[in-house]
Amino acid sequence: MFDLSVIFDIGVVALRIIMPVYAIVIVYQCYAAMRRRRRPEKPLVTLYNMQTGLKLPVLFWENSIGRSKGSDILIDDPAVSRNHCVLLRRKEGWFVNDTGSKSGTYVNGRKTNGRTRVLINDTITVGNSSFEFRRGEEYDEKIRASWFFSRVSSKPAIKSWKLMLLITIFHFFMCVEAMFWNDGTNAESPLVMFGALAAVEWGFFFVSTIILRRVNFELESLALFLTGIGVIILVRQAERSAYVQLIAASVGMAVFCVLIKLIEDPDKVIKLRIPMMIAAVGLLLLSIVFGRVTNGAANWIYIGSISVQPSELVKIIYIFIGASALDKLQTNKNLIEFIIFSAICVGLLAVMGDFGTALIFFMTFLLIAFMRSGDFKTIILAVAAAVFGVTFVLKFKPYVADRFSAWGHVWEHTQDNGGYQQARVLTYIASGGLFGVGIGNGFLKQVAASESDLVFGLVSEEMGVIVAITLAIAVGALVIYARAITTRSRSTFYSISACCAAGLLVTQLSLNVFGATAILPLTGVTFPFISSGGSSIISCWGLIAFIKAADERTYAVKR
Amino acid sequence: MKRILRRSTLIFAVTIAFIGGMGYLSFQLITNADDWVDQPYNAHISGSGGLEQAGAVFDRNGDVLAQTVDGRRVYNEDTSVRKSLLHVVGDNSLNISTAVQSMYRSQLTGYNLVWGLNMPQTLRKSNDIKLTVDAKTCAAAYDVLSSYDKKGACVVYNYRTGDVICSVSTQAYDPEAPPEITEENESEYDGVYLDNVLSSSYTPGSVFKIVTAAAAIENIPDIFERTWNCSGSEEIGGSDVTCVDVHGTINFEQAMAYSCNVVFAELAVELGSEKMTETAEKIGINLTYDVDGVATSKGHYDVSKANTNQLAWSGVGQYNDQVNPMQMAIICGAIANGGTSTSPHIVNDGASEVLSAIGIKSGFGSREMFSADTAEKLDQIMRYTITDYYGNDLFGGLTVCAKTGTGEVGKDKEPNAWMVGYSKDEDCPLAFACVVEDSGFGFTYAGPVVEAAMIQAAKSLNSSAVQ
Repeated sequence: MFDLSVIFDIGVVALRIIMPVYAIVIVYQCYAAMRRRRRPEKPLVTLYNMQTGLKLPVLFWENSIGRSKGSDILIDDPAVSRNHCVLLRRKEGWFVNDTGSKSGTYVNGRKTNGRTRVLINDTITVGNSSFEFRRGEEYDEKIRASWFFSRVSSKPAIKSWKLMLLITIFHFFMCVEAMFWNDGTNAESPLVMFGALAAVEWGFFFVSTIILRRVNFELESLALFLTGIGVIILVRQAERSAYVQLIAASVGMAVFCVLIKLIEDPDKVIKLRIPMMIAAVGLLLLSIVFGRVTNGAANWIYIGSISVQPSELVKIIYIFIGASALDKLQTNKNLIEFIIFSAICVGLLAVMGDFGTALIFFMTFLLIAFMRSGDFKTIILAVAAAVFGVTFVLKFKPYVADRFSAWGHVWEHTQDNGGYQQARVLTYIASGGLFGVGIGNGFLKQVAASESDLVFGLVSEEMGVIVAITLAIAVGALVIYARAITTRSRSTFYSISACCAAGLLVTQLSLNVFGATAILPLTGVTFPFISSGGSSIISCWGLIAFIKAADERTYAVKR
Repeated sequence: MKRILRRSTLIFAVTIAFIGGMGYLSFQLITNADDWVDQPYNAHISGSGGLEQAGAVFDRNGDVLAQTVDGRRVYNEDTSVRKSLLHVVGDNSLNISTAVQSMYRSQLTGYNLVWGLNMPQTLRKSNDIKLTVDAKTCAAAYDVLSSYDKKGACVVYNYRTGDVICSVSTQAYDPEAPPEITEENESEYDGVYLDNVLSSSYTPGSVFKIVTAAAAIENIPDIFERTWNCSGSEEIGGSDVTCVDVHGTINFEQAMAYSCNVVFAELAVELGSEKMTETAEKIGINLTYDVDGVATSKGHYDVSKANTNQLAWSGVGQYNDQVNPMQMAIICGAIANGGTSTSPHIVNDGASEVLSAIGIKSGFGSREMFSADTAEKLDQIMRYTITDYYGNDLFGGLTVCAKTGTGEVGKDKEPNAWMVGYSKDEDCPLAFACVVEDSGFGFTYAGPVVEAAMIQAAKSLNSSAVQ
């Protein structure tokens, strides 16, 4: 007997098995490409000590010079101050800037006042030491690269357009799965969706590579890959939302490009600080005044038929302000301004009842505060203050305490608010197995917030737990990438903002995944890039702009 | 810059926390996935749709209890068998949460962690489940039990292997035609989804005298030499403890056989709350037992707040005493086994068969409830109860030891009729417990159910005693 339906079913199952492998390949290729195409490990310039004849490599765009151990260029000379001066590179060239040293900084024998241009073969004198400013090629010892970039095989990276093609085909396969869903109705609509998605993806690719002439596209590819999955998974749940999501993602891509342009000059960034702060507080106040209460959190405002979640957009501003508050490199350890700003933000979020976002801000605050001050005391103090704050909140916002009371006992609360959602997430993750039940065939989509707060469960059920974990790791690994590229960042602003933006995304990811799966209390935050939500996806694209900007290649236009 | 880079390693703390969480989640998924899947709300398997491709459920002899024919779930052709095993097998819905078709639905439907429930129906491989129950025995017990039109339970299990031969709970309905329960007829079907064998606890009445007797045997050396005088009632701690009869002068064995309340009430007071509690704890009255993943309803013995009169009543299974039918069968099985209990199971996974075949008794979950000496003496007086009081020809040729009970529940309800015990025959090592709610004397109501079940069970096991 020959049964055609068996052959058809085998095809469907084969596709489902291929998808996880395919997803892993794409994520791997994105990161593998990020590791490649980097200029060789050479110092930017070399300082030649005219007394001792030693050559000192200058590795960063901003270098502190001084006697203290943490200095980028350490000079063992009693006449040099602990933090003597800063040697920095800008678009126009190299500068030296005295940072309040006792004996002053001299260029070609003349005492500097403020930022002073340094040219090749000039002499910089600090204390009793004089250095000749030479080209980077003159340094002949080997420099160890960060492990992320070391031992990269000689095989060239995948071409950007090929990577994009891989991603588009993946999205196409998802659409094929969605076309053959069990329901059977409306079979062609995913194809239309796919067409729109592909147009946006390739449109962005051409804008980036041809109009903006960017050298690399890996980070954007990864973000597009995730965004596309988020869009297509919505097709069989709420088709209209899928288009809204795609439009919001396009806005996000525009925000991404504008933001990169806006922070191009690290010196100008500081001037935007105050207006940005006002904008952030204004946005948050706006949602308190006009916010509509959903699940006890008043974090949505409605403008006509469009709903916006201002707290999402404030995330971008928060990173911006956190990283930009330094007026001069390493000279400002004063965190007071930033602490006050953070307290206001977290406080306003708590008033709104959006504790998930408040927690994300707080974790980000810890990262920024530590990166700026290096002071564990500040961190411990902040955590102590937070514990106090949480106790306070639990006392006055009983619905938050309810979430905690069911935490760890979801199976006793499968029919009430305490564990209804999480229990279903776990059940349907397990039902999906490693390869998923196919797009559109899941049942978690009938549960409220499955496309946003519970999206990890939705992806697990329909595409399998391997894909879901791969996507989580793809976002999680952004931290490693952000940390690795900061060695080449053009300014500490970029280093701090990139690391903290990545840290923020991973914190958010963790709260989403572990909240939905009952490991942590459910706080209602989104899975970066995949959760449905316009404000959320715009904010995610905005945040990776910081990571993109930290890569020195971003502003090096293709010739 | 160097400082910033060094400090930026802090963000790896976030990464490590994330990786740790992912690891924990994966571990949870691998170990608990099948429990997570078997939920009544799981739309992939609930409703009759979930059983379209499910495997069959067989009894110990390979008789079909439930199977899918042409996409439809059908049950055993005999109505009595269907109804008697309703709470064991379950129906198409997941309403009876402790039933095999609910607990093991993921296995029946071919669930595994790798494939989840995603296989198209044409490719899905379903699994059959074989149970340890005997369909005929269950039907025999059900026919008698259901004739009272009362709620009740009857369980028979092999105290050597742990195989549950019979497990019947009333009220039951036909799984082929489940009743539509609406607001109007709700009260009529109150508790119908509950398997009383596993999930209910009852006032034990005199069957609890086994516990009091065990405490007396262990703590009073001359217990078998003593005699008591029963005048039908006696004032203990300010109120009367009454007996159903005037038993006159009796010894310990007779007190057990005639179920004399006065004697056991006095013993409970003499032993004191501490010794009574100690024995009750050792026997595990306050524990729950695991039967293939279902936790039995806990019994209850707590005299910490009792006065002397209440302590006296607690010794005869009144006061606030509660026991579960499965638990009583396990206790009786332990007596038969020389003091050590055997964990019952209802799903035949083959493991215990293999183990017993190579001479290893599967001791998983077993515990010592009585010392060997106490078990022997209890065996002796429980045997005496049958031979002296009820007559030995009750159970065909089986050598049965038993105790009846009549648990007064007060209010407007008739008492719980109980009978618990075991057969000593080597080829028929079965322990039993039966309770009928709102009925009357233990032996009058529970006795016939047990008799029918035990005789049929012995036949099914090919015991020489009933040939």
